Amino acid sequence: MKAIHYINQFFGQVGGEDAADSKPIFHDKPIGCSMMLDKMLPDIEVTDTVVCGDNYITNHTDEALKEIFAYLDGKKFDIFFAGPAFMAGRYGVGCGIVCKAVSERYKVPVVTSMNEENPGVAEYRGACYIFRGGRKATFMKDDLTAMAAFAEKIAKGEELLPAAEEGYFPRGIRSEIPAKNGETAAERVIDMLLKKLRGEPFQTELIIPKTDKIPPAAPVKDLSKCTIALVSSSGVVPSDNPDRIQSASAQKWGKYDIAGRDCLPAGEFKTIHAGFDPEAMCAVPDRGIPLDAMRAYEREGKFAKLYDYYYVTVGTGTTQNYAAKFGREIAAELKEAKVDAVILTAT
Amino acid sequence: MRLEIGKFKVKDIVFGGETSYADGILTVDREDALKVVREDKYITDAELEIVHPGDMVRLCPIKDSVEFRCKVEGGEGAYPGVTSPLGQAGMGRTHVLDGVSLLAVGKHWGGFQDGLLDMGGEYQHYTIWGDMPNLVLVADTSEAEERHEQQKKNHAIRWGALRLAEHIAQCVRDMEPEETDVYELPPLAARDEKTKALPGVVYVLQPQTQMEALGYNTLVYGWDGNRMLPTLMHPNELLDGCLVSGSFMPSSSKISTYEFSTNPMIKKLYEQHGRTINFLGVILSTLNPKMEEKARCVQIAGQIAVAIGAQAAVVAEEGYGNPDVDYTAMLVELERLGIKTVGISDESTGRDGASQPLVSMNPATDALVTTGNVSQFYKMPAMKVIGELEALARDGNSGGWEGCINPDGSCVMENNGMFCANHISGYSRRSCSDF
Repeated sequence: MKAIHYINQFFGQVGGEDAADSKPIFHDKPIGCSMMLDKMLPDIEVTDTVVCGDNYITNHTDEALKEIFAYLDGKKFDIFFAGPAFMAGRYGVGCGIVCKAVSERYKVPVVTSMNEENPGVAEYRGACYIFRGGRKATFMKDDLTAMAAFAEKIAKGEELLPAAEEGYFPRGIRSEIPAKNGETAAERVIDMLLKKLRGEPFQTELIIPKTDKIPPAAPVKDLSKCTIALVSSSGVVPSDNPDRIQSASAQKWGKYDIAGRDCLPAGEFKTIHAGFDPEAMCAVPDRGIPLDAMRAYEREGKFAKLYDYYYVTVGTGTTQNYAAKFGREIAAELKEAKVDAVILTAT
Repeated sequence: MRLEIGKFKVKDIVFGGETSYADGILTVDREDALKVVREDKYITDAELEIVHPGDMVRLCPIKDSVEFRCKVEGGEGAYPGVTSPLGQAGMGRTHVLDGVSLLAVGKHWGGFQDGLLDMGGEYQHYTIWGDMPNLVLVADTSEAEERHEQQKKNHAIRWGALRLAEHIAQCVRDMEPEETDVYELPPLAARDEKTKALPGVVYVLQPQTQMEALGYNTLVYGWDGNRMLPTLMHPNELLDGCLVSGSFMPSSSKISTYEFSTNPMIKKLYEQHGRTINFLGVILSTLNPKMEEKARCVQIAGQIAVAIGAQAAVVAEEGYGNPDVDYTAMLVELERLGIKTVGISDESTGRDGASQPLVSMNPATDALVTTGNVSQFYKMPAMKVIGELEALARDGNSGGWEGCINPDGSCVMENNGMFCANHISGYSRRSCSDF
């Protein structure tokens, strides 16, 4: 098997923070920590190292990926590595971006490693094998060893075990497994029951994720005095999508001026949402952002004023972490602008 | 209440002149047996086969599995209120042919609720039947009104199997059992102080009862489970045939009649009784289609659990999807009432494994045992078929679809269609994990 390894400017010996904007550099042999990785892999040869600045990959993602693809298109490889990225946030996100793109384009297994506090984990754990890594570079050998051991299992065609046993962050995929020690479900129930009754630690077989309970805001007292804003996950944006909001798994939101407009004309606005057939909403963008109806109510005096901007992102595939971040950021702006209430349109 | 289950350990089943049991061999008089099945005028065709663990044989479409059992004393019959007169189950003596089962298979027609299993190959151990010899009743019926219905009551074949199993078990009625299991739980107030000091545990069973039309749901002494509210029962009643499996719900999430009467969860709770727990009994609950029904049922079951002093509960859900709401609500309500819960059910994670495993989830349910994944994709090699494999693709089976059978007889399917394979009764040796 052949492998290619992606690392950042620091581990690729280009430089530190001063070199974070550096464009991809390609080596047709392993360099830096790729050499260490190569030595750990008896059945896999690391043939190339790709080095890219953390700022460049995160701020100029499309360009960076284009350059990386141009190089990888001419290469034959069976597996792709990135990192380890430890706690380094931009490095982790960069590894995630590249792994996800490589996996989608070349359909090869992609393996990286990050510390659990790296923001790249929450965003990319569903797209690649992210191994649980140390906090800093002193864990380089340990983290590479974990990545290498897993890749060797892939190379040998060995059975891949559940995430917890292999040591990577669960990718949001659940699958059937034989019960441990061939125990029947009735035996497992009794074991769990007795432990729970005794107050001893026990391991549930289906972990239910904790969800935040957000108390709803107090009801509006007098609608006729309210300023109301429109916020939406419908993906309706000006036709050139000036903020380049992603069509799925959004990492951004946009804010667009509607002062003086009575509707959002087709052609000037469209939806970029990839989670439904966009034809009807592109024909009448007001069905995503109901500006026409809001203006009518405003004229009737049902409420005082429609806020001059609407806020929008795309809901499909967007992680809870990003959604919560968008919510906090947008709410802060609306509060600052003394908006009293919001109509949130989903799709 | 005291129940003796007298066991005759069957190592093999053979066809022969007279139905009898001797030295671990069950001999079945084929013609005599089939007469009992043909008593029903709707049965148009019936045959018997014998299958063994390791046989490269596929059974499809399976309607039910029944243990061979007869009531010797202290009751009315093997399935009171169904194929026997109504009477109290759970007392006296019942004789069973242990280690074998009767499987009821459609000769042609299957449906949403029917299942498939393999006696050999990679999937042999996915069901308990792959590990035991089985007598197989293969029958066709003239139940024309449901022939092309996706949901079938399968009445003639299911009732035929119940009659046949009881009829065959009559051969050990007057014999001395090789082994006798005694199940005895005195009334709650009459238990000794040592037992009363142990934490009280109740088994909350939610059998499949969601079909509004009658004739498809789990039967309780012959009464359709859709028309009942949660009730307190003695575990012996369940071990003595008070429940008959329904004909509704994707097959892998069903509990067969065999499992209801040999319920391994009840047996495990009995094992712990007096040692680590005080096994209080069974709250037989229901699964319901409407939200208010779900809430009412959970409320009543919770009240019963509190009234009998439960400190812990095992909650089992026969099904998945919509009934997950009843399941999670039951666990959450019991926890709210201060009763520690363990849940047992299967999951539905979608073909890509990325879907939410239960329709309703709540962090209060912190102790869950998983028995399988209805969405798991299985590739099945070609093998000899008893019944008709086409039923998997043609008749709306929950785990099959048009085109799922290849010309060479191999097929692909979802776990959904494997007969009672997730063994929510407690037999399952599978689970799910994060990948």
